[in-house]
Order: sequence, then structure tokens, then C-alpha cells
Amino acid sequence: MKKLLVLFAVLSLLAASSTVSAHHGTAGYDMDKVISIKGTVSSYSWANPHVVIHIAAKNDKGQPQDWVVELAAPSMMARGGWTKNSMKPGDEVVMETHPAKNGVTTGLSGTANGVLKFVVNGQPLPAF
Amino acid sequence: MRIRELRFGLLLVAMATPFVLHAQTPAQSAPTRAPNSSPAGAVPDLSGNWLGKGGGVSWDPTDPGGKKPMEMAMVPWARQKTEAARPPFGARATFDNTNDPVQKYCDPPGVTRLFSYPYQFMFVQTPKAVYILYEYTRVWRLIPLNQEHPKDPDVTWMGDSVGHYEGDTLVIDTIGFNDKTWLDMVGHPHSDALHLVERWRRLDQDTLEAEVTISDPKTYPKTFSGKRTYKLSAAPMAEALCSLTEMQAFQNDVMTPTTKPPQK
Repeated sequence: MKKLLVLFAVLSLLAASSTVSAHHGTAGYDMDKVISIKGTVSSYSWANPHVVIHIAAKNDKGQPQDWVVELAAPSMMARGGWTKNSMKPGDEVVMETHPAKNGVTTGLSGTANGVLKFVVNGQPLPAF
Repeated sequence: MRIRELRFGLLLVAMATPFVLHAQTPAQSAPTRAPNSSPAGAVPDLSGNWLGKGGGVSWDPTDPGGKKPMEMAMVPWARQKTEAARPPFGARATFDNTNDPVQKYCDPPGVTRLFSYPYQFMFVQTPKAVYILYEYTRVWRLIPLNQEHPKDPDVTWMGDSVGHYEGDTLVIDTIGFNDKTWLDMVGHPHSDALHLVERWRRLDQDTLEAEVTISDPKTYPKTFSGKRTYKLSAAPMAEALCSLTEMQAFQNDVMTPTTKPPQK
């Protein structure tokens, strides 16, 4: 259970990001904030326009909380070393994300120009 | 029927590519001379997969980041359209109820926007024509060499292009655009009078430069220009089609929730 707890620690305040997404900007996300999430992969969609991960986690009160995390397009993630097999449902993941500004459990973790930290089953995924 | 013809044409190009590249250009990994020092009459080698970092979201030369999209000099109707745009980038970027024709309908992005996407593209150079194949949305352009435009070209999404070489530079002239696409990522419009001149030049083995001059007297009082650079990529061209079902699923799953009123 402890492994499923979401860690809402704000890791750092970053300078305004200049990253560029494939077909939309970053208007919905707080690019000055990075939070860490720990949970279990519910689904991993390696598809256009963006790779999307659903993560079953828990909030700081121990209540179930589902996160939806957006990455870059598959072609861009592939150029960074990721594949359709980088994770699968049931994997344990510790990852970082820029959370949505409005407080919903949606985040942006990767664009054409870089990806935040991902550790799956104890193994880090390629950074770029 | 037209879709079938386009697919068949692209298949022919793909099939001919290995021969064309082998016949026309030196090996990509071992150039025998600097690519930007082609002798007179030689055809510059633009082969390879080219990748931009994205950015340059506005063609306003004084505001490439799109931080002041309303300050671009434009005629009144264009100002109204820019004001009404709900674009994905720039100072007025929003995820809420976008009217970007690419995001909302998967419309072709148009030639002028293709410069700003962080996807790959490649040139296929043949003696009589150059083709540009784009990873994003898998559109392609035909650029016949050393020809004139038709006297009254049909208006199309990709326009009517003709090209020629000037030393180390491929020059492409394009007219005949429809007015359905946005000029850039921040929602600036254009008319069917859009006239594009591209000058493509390989600065070194790994760097390609596009100098783009844009005129559209129905929309903008002045001609303007900008440059974009691209890096040689070892990655293969991938599939980056715009599927409306995939786009709508992504909108519902990811983007729409971020547009709701803030949660406490």
C-alpha cells in the first residue's frame, strides 16, 4: 500500500519551459511546478497524437486517485529511446509531471524536446 | 479516387527513392566536398531526414514566439480572425474549445505551418522534380523543376509549387493556396493571395536552413520573411497521421479535463 501512495512533493520550481509539444502548447499545465507520482500503470497507449499513461495511485489521504499523463508523440518518444514496450499495465512506476493548472489529476511529462524522470519497476527509462 | 491516385504516386516515389538518391548524391556519411560549395551546375544534396526543434510559432518576424499576435500589421478582417482564434500556441494559447483547424478537424496544417512542427521531413530529388515528404500528417509536395506556374492554378491546401536551383540553394515558389489553413501556430490567417518563396540550403552536413519569404497583400501590408534550421536525423520517418478519432479521444481524455474550473 505504501508503494501506491502518491508523493505530492513539489520537487522544484523550474524556469518557464520552452518545450514545444507536437500539436498543442502547454497552456493547461503549470510548467513552473514538477510533482512526483508513485503508482501502478493502468494503461499505456502508444498512439498519436500523444502517448498517454493512466496510473492508479493514491492521494495523501490514502484514497484512490487516477492520474492521466501526457507524453510526446510516439515518433518523438521513439527518437528519445522509448518504445511501445517501455511499460505495461501492472508495472510500478515512479515518475514526475507538470500538473494541470486547475488541479485535476492530469499532467504533462514529455514533449518533443525532453521527458521528465520515469522509473519503471526500479529501472529508469531513457531521458532526453 | 483522388486519394488512391495520391497514394499510388507516393508509392512510386518511395520505390524510386533508393535509386534516385544513389544516382544523384554522394553517400550521406562521406561527402566528398562541403555541401555548401557545390560547383556551378551541380545539384546540391538535400537528402536525409531533417528534424526541427519546433518553435518559431509565429511568422511575425518581430515576434517569433507569438507573445504579441495582435500586434502584427494586418488588415481589419485579418485582425478580427486573429482575435477570434483559439490557438494552441503563443500568448493566447488555450486548450478550451479550440478552433484550430488542425486540432479540431485534422485539416491539413498547410505549408507555412509545417515549418514549425517538431517532426521530420525528407527531400527526394529527381532530375525533373523535387518531392518533400512530411512525417506529420504524411502530406507531401511535388515541386516541378524549371517550370512556370499554370496561368490560373486551382486553389489547394498545399498550393502550386515550382522550383529551381541557384548554386547551393533550392528555390521553391508556391501560389494557389486556399484560405482554409492558418499561417502559423498562433492563429494568424492568410488569403488565397498567399505567395511563398522558400530558399533551402545545407549550411553543413548536419544542418539545413530554410529562408522563407511570405507575401499576402490581401492580408498583410508588408512582405515578411523568416528562417528555420533543421538537423540531420538518423531516425526513420515514423507514422504521425492526424486521425480525427485519435485526436478526439485525446481531447476528451487529456485536454478537456484541464479546461474545467479550478479544483481546490
